[in-house]
Amino acid sequence: MQYLLLIYGDETQKDPAILQDITAAHMRLGAELAESGAMVGGNRLRPSETATTIRTTDGTQSLHDGPYAETREQLGGYYMIEAPDLDAAIAWGKKIPGGPNYAIEVRPVWAM
Amino acid sequence: MEAERVLAQAVSDAGDRIRAALAIRFRDLDLAEEAFAFASLRAVETWGRDGPPRDPAAWLYAVGRRRAFDLGRRAQVRARAAYDVPEPEPDPEAIVMAAFEPIPDERLRLIFICCHPALAPEARIALTLRTLCGLSVPRIARAWLTSEVAMGQRLTRAKRKIREAKIRFEIPEPDAWGERLDAVLATLEIAYAQAYEDAAGASDAADLAAESLRLSGLLAELLPDEPEVLGLAAMIRLAESRRPARMDDAGVMVPLSEQEVGLWDNRLIGEAVILLARAAELGRSGPYQLMAAIHGVHAARRDTGQTAWPRVVALYDALMRVRPSAVTAVNRAVALGEAQGAEQGMAALAAVEGPDRITEWLPYQAARAGLFAKAGRTAEAAQALAAALALDPAPAERLFLEQRLRNLKAG
Repeated sequence: MQYLLLIYGDETQKDPAILQDITAAHMRLGAELAESGAMVGGNRLRPSETATTIRTTDGTQSLHDGPYAETREQLGGYYMIEAPDLDAAIAWGKKIPGGPNYAIEVRPVWAM
Repeated sequence: MEAERVLAQAVSDAGDRIRAALAIRFRDLDLAEEAFAFASLRAVETWGRDGPPRDPAAWLYAVGRRRAFDLGRRAQVRARAAYDVPEPEPDPEAIVMAAFEPIPDERLRLIFICCHPALAPEARIALTLRTLCGLSVPRIARAWLTSEVAMGQRLTRAKRKIREAKIRFEIPEPDAWGERLDAVLATLEIAYAQAYEDAAGASDAADLAAESLRLSGLLAELLPDEPEVLGLAAMIRLAESRRPARMDDAGVMVPLSEQEVGLWDNRLIGEAVILLARAAELGRSGPYQLMAAIHGVHAARRDTGQTAWPRVVALYDALMRVRPSAVTAVNRAVALGEAQGAEQGMAALAAVEGPDRITEWLPYQAARAGLFAKAGRTAEAAQALAAALALDPAPAERLFLEQRLRNLKAG
């Protein structure tokens, strides 16, 4: 079963030392995921100010500058993994780095 | 009638074991529920006609398993959009043979699944009571003062998440053990707190008290080397042992220190003492053991005629270190008032960091009233009692607070 692990964090974090640590930890995690065969994909996203939201209201589409949800924490990246069950996916999710304050949302992917 | 009596007995003896075995075997809580209901219905029909079987529990499990298998296969067939195959009737021979297969004990596994931390806390206990204990949705809804529809939806949502997000049907691995066990213990604690609220025990929360006793005892039996599991089982027993003494004949709440010790349930106290001794041998303390120990000091009044308040304060101090909370801080202040005098208690109460608007919090005002009264500050005590009464106490506590207020005014 595939799970999408969404990373929500404070994208205003600019401390280079922290960012370097986080990046290094992502590299290690990516290698570990690939090694175990759990890696399906994953990417870091550009800041939410580059986001465009296409909203459809009563069948009419309109564009908005910015992310879908304006929250304190923004979607900054994701991993797509293959895991036998939610518990295994959560175990991977707990390994995702992100500094002192962040959140990982674990979502099962609807199998096609 | 005989068939129904035998069925009721079998369900009470082995119902949770059968329900758990079906749920784990088919990895589907709905399917297991439906299969067990079918087996029970079948039992009334067949046993009434042919007499009950030699081993009713094994019969129920065998028929339930067969039913679950058929339902699962039909669902599979439907999913493949093929034609429905005619369902073979289980022949009596197969049922007899299957009945020799022992019912595996999957209760612990089911408890861990129902109390998975990925499920909402309020859904966990409902799910445990429904799928393991077999409580009906209306009964669970009444215990939580919510509507059947709302409770039904909560259960459906939790079961769907287990199925669709694919929660693991296994006992947790060592690295997840602590988190998972905490979730189980917290779930039982919430269930018992709900049951304890109601001093009268006349409402449907009384069901919850009985189930909390049973579930915590079962967990202690299944996990005898987990001291906190034993601590929680002991805590629930000690708190529950006082139920007969918590209210007088007029329905007025009787505070712990004024309860008649002869009314306490000696059997429950005895069980708790054994559990706590076993937990202590394991040498790993924790909040549930500390809470149980506090109850234990109060229970000792039965034998010694007095409460060792300094010991209670010391235990609350330890509890504040491992699990600080406003409730614990308030209780500690009250105990300190008993151990060292009202002034000390009031100083401790003033230092409690509680909810934002602590003056609108019933336990706080009740504690204040007690400490002021103890200090002889009648006017302030009356004020605190009035404030507590304005905060919508439960009926038995309301009567108690009103009584105190009358006594103060009578001087």
